[in-house]
Amino acid sequence: MALVNVTINGVQVQAENGALLIEVAKQNGIEIPAFCYYEGMSLQAACRMCLVEVEKAPKLMAGCTLPVAEGMVVRTESEPVVKARKTTLEFLLSNHPLDCPVCDKGGECELQDMTFKYGVGESRFTEIKQHVPEKQWSPVVFYDAPRCILCYRCVRVCNEGMGVGALGVSYRGVNAEIIPSNGDHLECDECGSCIDICPVGSLTSGIYRYKTRPWEMEHVGTVCTHCSNGCKTTLGVRNNEIVRGNNRDKSGINGEFLCVKGRYAFDFTQHPERLQTPLIRNAAGELEEASWSRALKLVAEKFKALAGPDFGVIGSTRTTNEENYLLQKFARTALGTASIDHHRTGDVVTLIDSLSGKTGQLATAEDLYTSKAVLVVASDLSQQQPLLANKIRANVRHHKAAVYTVTPGPVREDKIARKAIRIAEADSLAGVEQLREALSKEAELVIIYGDAIQGEKVRQLVAFGESLGIPVKYVALVDYANSRGALDMGLLPDLGPGYHATAPGRSLQQMLDDPKLAALWVVGSNPLKGGKSLASTNAFVVVQDLFLTETAQRADVVLPAASAYEKNGTVTNVCGQVQRLKKGIETVGSKADLAIIGLLARGMGVNLGKVDADAIFAEIAASVPGYNQLPMPVILTGGAVQTHPVNGGVPPSSVPGIIASARDTLFTTGSLTRYSKILNEVLEKPGALYS
Amino acid sequence: MANSISEILGSAAAIAKGMSVTLKEMMSPTVTEDYPDAPAKFQERYRGVHVLQRDEAGLEKCVACFLCAAACPSNCIYIEADENTEKKRISGGERYASVYNIDYSRCIFCGFCVEACPTDAITHGHQFEIASYNTSTLIYRKEQMLVNIAPNVKAPALPVETTGGH
Repeated sequence: MALVNVTINGVQVQAENGALLIEVAKQNGIEIPAFCYYEGMSLQAACRMCLVEVEKAPKLMAGCTLPVAEGMVVRTESEPVVKARKTTLEFLLSNHPLDCPVCDKGGECELQDMTFKYGVGESRFTEIKQHVPEKQWSPVVFYDAPRCILCYRCVRVCNEGMGVGALGVSYRGVNAEIIPSNGDHLECDECGSCIDICPVGSLTSGIYRYKTRPWEMEHVGTVCTHCSNGCKTTLGVRNNEIVRGNNRDKSGINGEFLCVKGRYAFDFTQHPERLQTPLIRNAAGELEEASWSRALKLVAEKFKALAGPDFGVIGSTRTTNEENYLLQKFARTALGTASIDHHRTGDVVTLIDSLSGKTGQLATAEDLYTSKAVLVVASDLSQQQPLLANKIRANVRHHKAAVYTVTPGPVREDKIARKAIRIAEADSLAGVEQLREALSKEAELVIIYGDAIQGEKVRQLVAFGESLGIPVKYVALVDYANSRGALDMGLLPDLGPGYHATAPGRSLQQMLDDPKLAALWVVGSNPLKGGKSLASTNAFVVVQDLFLTETAQRADVVLPAASAYEKNGTVTNVCGQVQRLKKGIETVGSKADLAIIGLLARGMGVNLGKVDADAIFAEIAASVPGYNQLPMPVILTGGAVQTHPVNGGVPPSSVPGIIASARDTLFTTGSLTRYSKILNEVLEKPGALYS
Repeated sequence: MANSISEILGSAAAIAKGMSVTLKEMMSPTVTEDYPDAPAKFQERYRGVHVLQRDEAGLEKCVACFLCAAACPSNCIYIEADENTEKKRISGGERYASVYNIDYSRCIFCGFCVEACPTDAITHGHQFEIASYNTSTLIYRKEQMLVNIAPNVKAPALPVETTGGH
């Protein structure tokens, strides 16, 4: 695009023709204050805060909607501009209560900052401020109308950013206020983006409300432990308690986006049923509390006695890469078994095999924002993969990307899709075939597929993609925070770390069904969920988990584990992007799974080397293909790096039917969310309660 | 001889001068205090142990804004905030301090907290006899610092508060 010369405050700068003045000024280090303008959202020009003086213009102009042109001369700090800003703030404050000491936003409030920087100290208004009582719209969203400055940011983020459109503006003039979708309550994703984006304390969070103040917390940037998208969430920690989650610094692959789980569902860490002491089954057949030393000694002795091919190990989809790696290493070497598996939720293995010999065909989350076209096959992205859905929506909004959907039922992406095909999951590939002509006209494509596409169907889908004659990238969807990492680290009965073939063992279902199983070690998983039982009645079962799950209730020894928010390590998201977890809090009595494995190894007299997250990651980097070229500075500073998976044939691993997604929604992910009070409230309490 | 006479006169003059100062001071009011036999007297703005104030309705003035803790240079103020409900109203604002501790083993009585307070809730009292052989008794809880409800105010019924062990 052509460059034009613009003079801002006497300094001549070059900018793209048609770029917004407010952005050009920002790029050149000049602040034009604004409330309603928000990068990435549509323009509003509602707040009048960004008024600037433009030569030859009769009046002050709004910088947020003014495209720059050749020879434009702008002054952002001249006397009329300063006067206009002071007056605008005086108007905004004419009905805004001065309750900063009580307001949750105090300390990080844009109106507070602007008034401090640009405002006059006094107001000429003597009228009594109009008071409207605060309203609760949902368990997590409160709205205080008098504080609202009607910048419409919440309306736009809900409509454009989330594709929900649950907020609007009603009434006129001084009575104008934001109104939720159902009149008096919200029925939406409860993502809380509106709370985050609010420049004042008008929208506040039900979970963080009146608890503390921004400067009192420690801000710990870690990765959300729920779904597989791997959003970075910055936990506000005070007194060893997480009080809020958000990502206002826009770091990580998600920018400031978070769904209800990342923003609120950390409260399981403080659930009263959280295990804080090991449990051992006593002679009467009941689980009773025991000391760590007694429990570890018992487990180490039993493991030593029972080690062998009949030992089963079930790993987790939410423990770190380091823990998964050490678990399979310990099982394959010290325990001498090949029966290792985890809850598999997507067919990544066949995809990697189908793409052997090709590079750069696994999409990252960023690719969904930049690719010219996206094809969604058999997945309800907005429910199950909220970040990926958000990236696609932003792509459509900013780059007019073409979206195609092939799904069994209606999905939110239908609204933005060029073509939406409704077809049974089993026939998805036939649906994809119908799009051949349209897709082959696109410049590039990202194909996202759910668990309905597995085994031979993955190969067919890849063959279809390759036959289009355009660059195609793929994402195999998986369910949980480290589902991808569990696969990469070799928690599979026939594949070791980096998808290397090993001597085959039992799959998860085969372990549960085998009456000869001598011992079962379950780390952070709940395979007996939904009334399943273990065929081997005599098996010695050890469970490491946060809660007394169905599987833990069957266990002989239960060891209380730490959650992802309570440990360091790395996780790999659905797109194969490795990110770092940072320890935010500590729960008394629990231990990280890595430490537990290390202590058991020591108890058995097995030398696993240095058991520490950094040391194990160094070992992974040295020995696991795909993890050997990761730039550590990026990971250590909270960035995400995509792994380079093996570029070669992978032995087929999937037994038909073993891969099954849990088909979670926005409000569920396995056992963690069952213990999140706030998520359950959002689910259970119908909006009618808030009339 | 003359020498000794002038010496005597000189000594007498010196004594007279000295005694005149003594007599003049004897007539003026005393400034030395009798503490601890008599109570100590204070300037009005003396900075002693803090007093947490109540408003006219007997509600606590503190709204747990944490500004005192932010201003404190020795980091001796610890607050936990909670929300007022219709059944349990503690302060005038929406929020109140469920825990408010000051650690007097760290407090330097600088008065920054009092200056920072937007609701005039925290003030300095004149209590200063807080020395102790046990430093743990130097952490004062909210209940120890709150001013009593004035006798002419019909205070709202306040439920008994429990401090979570802090």
